[in-house]
Amino acid sequence: MSRRGRTAINLVAILAGLAVLWEAYRAFALATGNMWPGTDVALPVAVRGSGNAQQFPHVWEPVLALGRPYRGGGETLGAFLLGQVGYTLREVLAGFVLGSLLGFLLGTLFAHSRLAERSLMPYVIASQTVPFIAFAPILVVGFNSLESFPRWSGVAALSMYLVFFPMTVNTLRGLRSAPATAEELMRSYAASWWTRLWKLRVPAAVPYLFVGMKIGATAAVVGAIVGELSAPSSQGLGAAIFSFGRVSNNSVQLFATTLVAGLVGIASFSTVALLERAVLRAYAGAGPAR
Amino acid sequence: MTSPEETAVTVEAGPPVVAAAEPTVAVRHVTRTFGEVTALSDVSLDVAPGSFVSLIGPSGCGKSTLLRVIADLLEPSSGEVVVAGKTPHRARTDRDYGMVFQKATLFDWRTVRRNVELPLELMGWDRTRRRARADEMLALVELTDFAKHRPAQLSGGMQQRVAIARALAFSPKLLLMDEPFGALDEITRERLNLELLDIWTKTRTTVVFVTHSIPEAVFLSTDVVVMSPRPGRVLRRIPVDLPRPRDTGTRELDRYFELVTEVRETLRGAGLL
Repeated sequence: MSRRGRTAINLVAILAGLAVLWEAYRAFALATGNMWPGTDVALPVAVRGSGNAQQFPHVWEPVLALGRPYRGGGETLGAFLLGQVGYTLREVLAGFVLGSLLGFLLGTLFAHSRLAERSLMPYVIASQTVPFIAFAPILVVGFNSLESFPRWSGVAALSMYLVFFPMTVNTLRGLRSAPATAEELMRSYAASWWTRLWKLRVPAAVPYLFVGMKIGATAAVVGAIVGELSAPSSQGLGAAIFSFGRVSNNSVQLFATTLVAGLVGIASFSTVALLERAVLRAYAGAGPAR
Repeated sequence: MTSPEETAVTVEAGPPVVAAAEPTVAVRHVTRTFGEVTALSDVSLDVAPGSFVSLIGPSGCGKSTLLRVIADLLEPSSGEVVVAGKTPHRARTDRDYGMVFQKATLFDWRTVRRNVELPLELMGWDRTRRRARADEMLALVELTDFAKHRPAQLSGGMQQRVAIARALAFSPKLLLMDEPFGALDEITRERLNLELLDIWTKTRTTVVFVTHSIPEAVFLSTDVVVMSPRPGRVLRRIPVDLPRPRDTGTRELDRYFELVTEVRETLRGAGLL
């Protein structure tokens, strides 16, 4: 069997296993009244009775809910969430592109100047040690108070903040990855710093840039959703999670939204991974047969 | 054929030499230290135009350091170096030399042809001229059919031939080679030795060649410079009076064995063997 076929079967098996565990726990909790059998110790997650099983639905319920109207009537939950995905993706895209650019520029600056690296790198690292959830509201609210920026720009800024760091580190590593003799070769041609950068270091860094961008692609989604959650926003997946989780307390719809958010993260990562494959293949060169 | 009287005439053969020309490379009393370590100690060396000079010695004898001082990739701590009548820095910016390393150091993301074009690109040649010149060089190293391949698709010996083509693409006066065949198997190495001599004859380039193979040094060179380590010094310069053109038969001449022995004795005399 092909490798791809085996991967698909593995994936289905893992998902099926998780679904079975989920349903088994649910049945177990319903049978024991949410208690460990023979004790008065509560199970970690309570499952309400079959009449109101929203807090811990059947595996398939969130999936089915996507096709049903999400309140009273009208629009289905799926259609509603698709609109939120569109809103969130705009923040993700802006945060990813700007964060990647900022990371690339910082990495290049650090590769150019040890002094810049030594004086600025500690702050770049420190910026990542602050729990970003703590200052997400500051950033988002701060941006929202600036009238010239659209409302989503604060969330995009948080997204960018998560993207630039892995990009900086990987750019720096990549630009330094060219072998010493390749650097000597370029010096023997009396190549300028710019020429060395564009003809040698950046091409040599490409695999590293993709590592940075793949990490950034998932981080951008996390940043956008947390940004939407942590600030008064009415749109986006984060706002939907907040609304289903805290306001209407509808766990089926909450699980459905979480599922969609997960798919957005996977799609974001896969887009960069596919691009990487295409570029690296062109790099190695299909060329004439070996 | 092997009598000294006859071979003496052919010592300076190979590329024709302009009589009494200034040396292409002149190294005068060069010392180079790295911290506490003295890599080169009072080294002097002349390389005549059109000659093929090998630097040989055990690892740590400073032969690669000397090559890099000539190439202006390292500065001497003291002493003077003149390359093509200029400072090494000026020679480097004028692209007076091409360089070949032990690793071919080809750029994976470029085709073989575009690798050969690299120095021409940096020198601002236009596309058509670059391409024509690269094809010419690939013909010289007999890799015409591989112009569109990627370096990774080539064997080690072929990669090194591309590196030689690249180094000679802009017709430098001087070719600096740092153990170019050191990582290759013996059979490939002997074949590339023959090819290199052929290229040397055709292009009339002056060569400074670092190696740790005694047979290779004797087979290729007009002069073998034997060096000793810690600190790196020139022990002896041995002119190689083997007839040219040299071919596989050269390795069977008595004089060839005598010269190999002479190099070996020099190393042994210094306690290096």
